[in-house]
Amino acid sequence: MAEAPASPGGGGGSHESGSPRGGGGGGSVREQDRFLPIANISRIMKKAIPANGKIAKDAKETVQECVSEFISFITSEASDKCQREKRKTINGDDLLWAMATLGFEDYIEPLKVYLQKYREMEGDSKLTAKSSDGSIKKDALGHVGASSSAAEGMGQQGAYNQGMGYMQPQYHNGDISNV
Amino acid sequence: MEPNSSIPPPVMGAAVAYPPAAGAAYSAGPYAHAHAALGALYPPPPAPGPPSSHQGGAAAAQLQLFWAEQYREIEATTDFKNHNLPLARIKKIMKADEDVRMIAAEAPVVFARACEMFILELTHRGWAHAEENKRRTLQKSDIAAAVARTEVFDFLVDIVPRDEPRDADPAAAAMGAAAPGIPQHPAAADPTTMGYYYVQPQ
Repeated sequence: MAEAPASPGGGGGSHESGSPRGGGGGGSVREQDRFLPIANISRIMKKAIPANGKIAKDAKETVQECVSEFISFITSEASDKCQREKRKTINGDDLLWAMATLGFEDYIEPLKVYLQKYREMEGDSKLTAKSSDGSIKKDALGHVGASSSAAEGMGQQGAYNQGMGYMQPQYHNGDISNV
Repeated sequence: MEPNSSIPPPVMGAAVAYPPAAGAAYSAGPYAHAHAALGALYPPPPAPGPPSSHQGGAAAAQLQLFWAEQYREIEATTDFKNHNLPLARIKKIMKADEDVRMIAAEAPVVFARACEMFILELTHRGWAHAEENKRRTLQKSDIAAAVARTEVFDFLVDIVPRDEPRDADPAAAAMGAAAPGIPQHPAAADPTTMGYYYVQPQ
């Protein structure tokens, strides 16, 4: 698999760096925030077993822990790659690279298609519908970032998206409206 | 939304007993869709990974059907605002790593889909173990067995330590530990097929 990921076109907005509460170490993160909701996980698990099969609660909880470990595992590898390349923002391609590196090759092709479709939709959304775009970012943000970090993000955004200058003003507007 | 109003019967040799349950967002039993896709819509894509090095032929075929289903679902995706997993929570888990600075908006979206695949694969492999033990309820030990048998899940060995002394396949566990390169499945073709294609409604 080629290891020369191009810059993402028509997407890849950045978000604020750091949490307002300071460095979110493992100890200070709430239990509730360490795992994905068990109801969502249970719903997905049911799709992988026959209709008359049952899932014990401890199996759901175990998978819940495994998913968080999966996210941390992939994120750590992607973060290391970004640091080596002197970049601050983890994007979709970094995650796909990390998954391939860590043995999840089977996931890459479907996710490439998925990411491509998302970027196409994101591009359309930014050009035509601000509210829709804001909705996605609001969900992704989770909480409002400080203006200074937003400005810093904008700087990184500009540097990162060289050649995509025409997208920058609209993103800036969107970011301001969301803060 | 799934355009399938009625799901045609599976075209594989052995009849798959479990019927597709009614689901709001996704239809239950994705493998029924996979069978339909295989028979009617399009052939399974060539597997980029090494399915031959995994379990038996039946298992490899099952995985190919699974990935064909993933392709089909992703192709049908038009709404990226409703995810099966909350993006904000995914982002918080990513940010638990102090080295993580900034996260692009697309990253949690990709993870939402990747985690769904991960959950499906882990659960699917765990269910195979439950079937081998003639059980209808997926238990923690089944997840632990799936982790022990699958090399790509090695990073989970600390999360799901094997706490069940009685193991149906001690040789499998030993071989898995001895040969991490190739996950071993000691069962013959028939038990594997029985495990993956639930024929007996019981």
